[in-house]
Amino acid sequence: MFGQRTRIPRLALAGTVTVGLVAALAACSSGGSSASGGSSTGGEPVEITFQSWVPNIDQAVDAFNASHDDIEVKLETITAGPDGGYAKMLSAVQAGNPADVVQLGYDAIPDFLINDALEDITEHVGDAEDDFVPWQWQTGVFNDKVYAVPQASGPLGQFYRKDIFDSLGLAYPTTWDEYYEAAKVIHASDPNKYITAFAFNQAPWLIGLSQQAGASWFTAEDDAWTVSIDDEATLKTAQFWQKLIDEGLVKIEADFSSEWNADIQNGNVATWISGSWADAILRGTAPDTAGKWAVGPMPQWNAGDSVSATWAGGSASAVLKGSDHPAEAAEFALWLNSDPESVNILTNVGAGWPAVADTSEITALQDAPEVFEFYGGQDIWDVFAESDKSVDTSWKWPPLSSTLFSSLTDNVKSAVDGGTPLADAFTKTQDDMVAALEDKGISVN
Amino acid sequence: MVRSRRQPLGSVIAVNAVLVLAAAYFLLPLLWVVIAATKSPGDLFASFGLWFSDSPQALENLSRLFTQDGGIFGTWVLNSVLYSAVGAFVAMVLSAACGYAIAKYVFRGRETLFSVILGGVLVPATVIALPLYFLLNAAGLTGTYWAVLLPSMVSPFGVYLARIQANAAVPDEVIEAARIDGAGDLRIFGSIATRMMVPALVTIFLFQFVTIWNNYLLPLVMLNDTKTFPITLGLTLWNSQTQRDPMFYQLVVTGSAVSAILLVALMVSLQRFWKADLTAGATKG
Repeated sequence: MFGQRTRIPRLALAGTVTVGLVAALAACSSGGSSASGGSSTGGEPVEITFQSWVPNIDQAVDAFNASHDDIEVKLETITAGPDGGYAKMLSAVQAGNPADVVQLGYDAIPDFLINDALEDITEHVGDAEDDFVPWQWQTGVFNDKVYAVPQASGPLGQFYRKDIFDSLGLAYPTTWDEYYEAAKVIHASDPNKYITAFAFNQAPWLIGLSQQAGASWFTAEDDAWTVSIDDEATLKTAQFWQKLIDEGLVKIEADFSSEWNADIQNGNVATWISGSWADAILRGTAPDTAGKWAVGPMPQWNAGDSVSATWAGGSASAVLKGSDHPAEAAEFALWLNSDPESVNILTNVGAGWPAVADTSEITALQDAPEVFEFYGGQDIWDVFAESDKSVDTSWKWPPLSSTLFSSLTDNVKSAVDGGTPLADAFTKTQDDMVAALEDKGISVN
Repeated sequence: MVRSRRQPLGSVIAVNAVLVLAAAYFLLPLLWVVIAATKSPGDLFASFGLWFSDSPQALENLSRLFTQDGGIFGTWVLNSVLYSAVGAFVAMVLSAACGYAIAKYVFRGRETLFSVILGGVLVPATVIALPLYFLLNAAGLTGTYWAVLLPSMVSPFGVYLARIQANAAVPDEVIEAARIDGAGDLRIFGSIATRMMVPALVTIFLFQFVTIWNNYLLPLVMLNDTKTFPITLGLTLWNSQTQRDPMFYQLVVTGSAVSAILLVALMVSLQRFWKADLTAGATKG
């Protein structure tokens, strides 16, 4: 795709050679691997493999198999992409023995593209564009070609302890200015209490805040990337949080750490801007605070606006290059993420906010008493439905997103540790990212 | 062993203090994980890490651990035991044979061979995981137990250790005596030499066992089916699900504790083989 063209032929060649070897050897190996492939004749269903780490996604796979006679999907549960799953998929592509369909984070799609690891599935799924929320669909589209079918995302909302806000006479902060004022009141009421934890360790959180301010860090044009991590919107965001940190109004603390979990349980941290799936985390982490929470939209930079963002995009299904049955694989990828039965299952097992445009048939999003009860009876899904519609479609993930994540958290951590300006951390990340892309032979404007 | 009286008291105290510190450094994480395994998911983060909570529930955690996802953790334990025990045993046998041969037979290229094998010690397992994947994929073995077992069956460090031990513990006179008594080479190796090398063999077995037990990258690349996963891979899988359901934290912690305790139990039970070699003095000094 973008740069690195020279590597592809060699890899493709290696792939073909290995496929040949495998085909030859499969005849004598008795153990399982179905590399025989070929077209299905008669009633024999085409078997495809699907690699994912979403818990209980087997229910959706079973539903597909029950309703399709011509395709049989075999689920392989693997470790999550960033924990090694992606590396595993890429090596399988190189070895010419890939799974047909895989789980892929939106932020990982460009990485797979520069490794030439994804099948162009435009002809199989291109017509389905209107079935999906535009920004989610666009994450799988590069140079007008479709490489992935979006599954689910985490539109951001603000979880907050309504009881704490009420007891202090605070209205819900709809703008960042009001947020700052609320932060002062909360900390003044009790020196142990903070409006939120500044999660220096959490790149998706830091990125979401910048994205909501209007930042667009990466744009791809003519096989070259423009990187602007230090743009105006990002620096504005950095300065805002700098003010909160300097005045000691936020607790500098890694989220999901044991201290953070304890603070969520005892109310020392009163809000958390997070993805829609975070509702389950709060319910699981702090069951004793049931009824005290509520959810609101992200505070806005300009009063009256309605701009949102997401937690590192979301997750998609893609067909790996070298799949023996790309058409069937694409059919499954589309069904999995758009058929109401499947989307219902995925939403119920906690895969995230569905990427389909029409959520009226998703029963779990219409009424969820046990969820709403935790949030004082509020229909929190309304907030996230609005949030999902308000996400900017122009945000693009770059290749090497894992480098982006680690560089960002490293730089932000050393800024808060050393007391240096947060803005510098973003400038440094800009430099790191440009260098990393150029190192990989990817052209940067 | 009688402690020498000449040793000054100060240095004894200093040495022991350092050892106590080192022991604490290594034991504290183990202590934490064992204590944490007795807590409820809520108490896991809410209570002090190095002491028990008010309502310990070790048994409940254990039963959840072994029933989650249809009792898959039990399968992971068995897989880990299989990979580690079989892999370590074969590695031990191969290392012993190879090390003994290099120590006791003079042949052309002996030192070169040994250096090449020693070079293998320097190559990190991480580096060869991918090439191994391509190799085994070409043989159609990826995704099977063999994909993890075969690469685990060799241990360059084991060969090194076995050679050193064969040199030190198997005197040439014993081999010559056995030959005169009419024993063949295989018999000398199998019945005499290996017995003299027992402490080294146990060491090789344990080293390799722990290495395989803790291996992550190789099974990650090779395996596709959760039913073939070892504990390391399985717990990582669960750990990646904590973002969706924090209950998995408790399962991962309890699972880690079980995994660590199993290793400790193995170490303790094999420790008696580490006695000074029993044939010391079998020949005249």
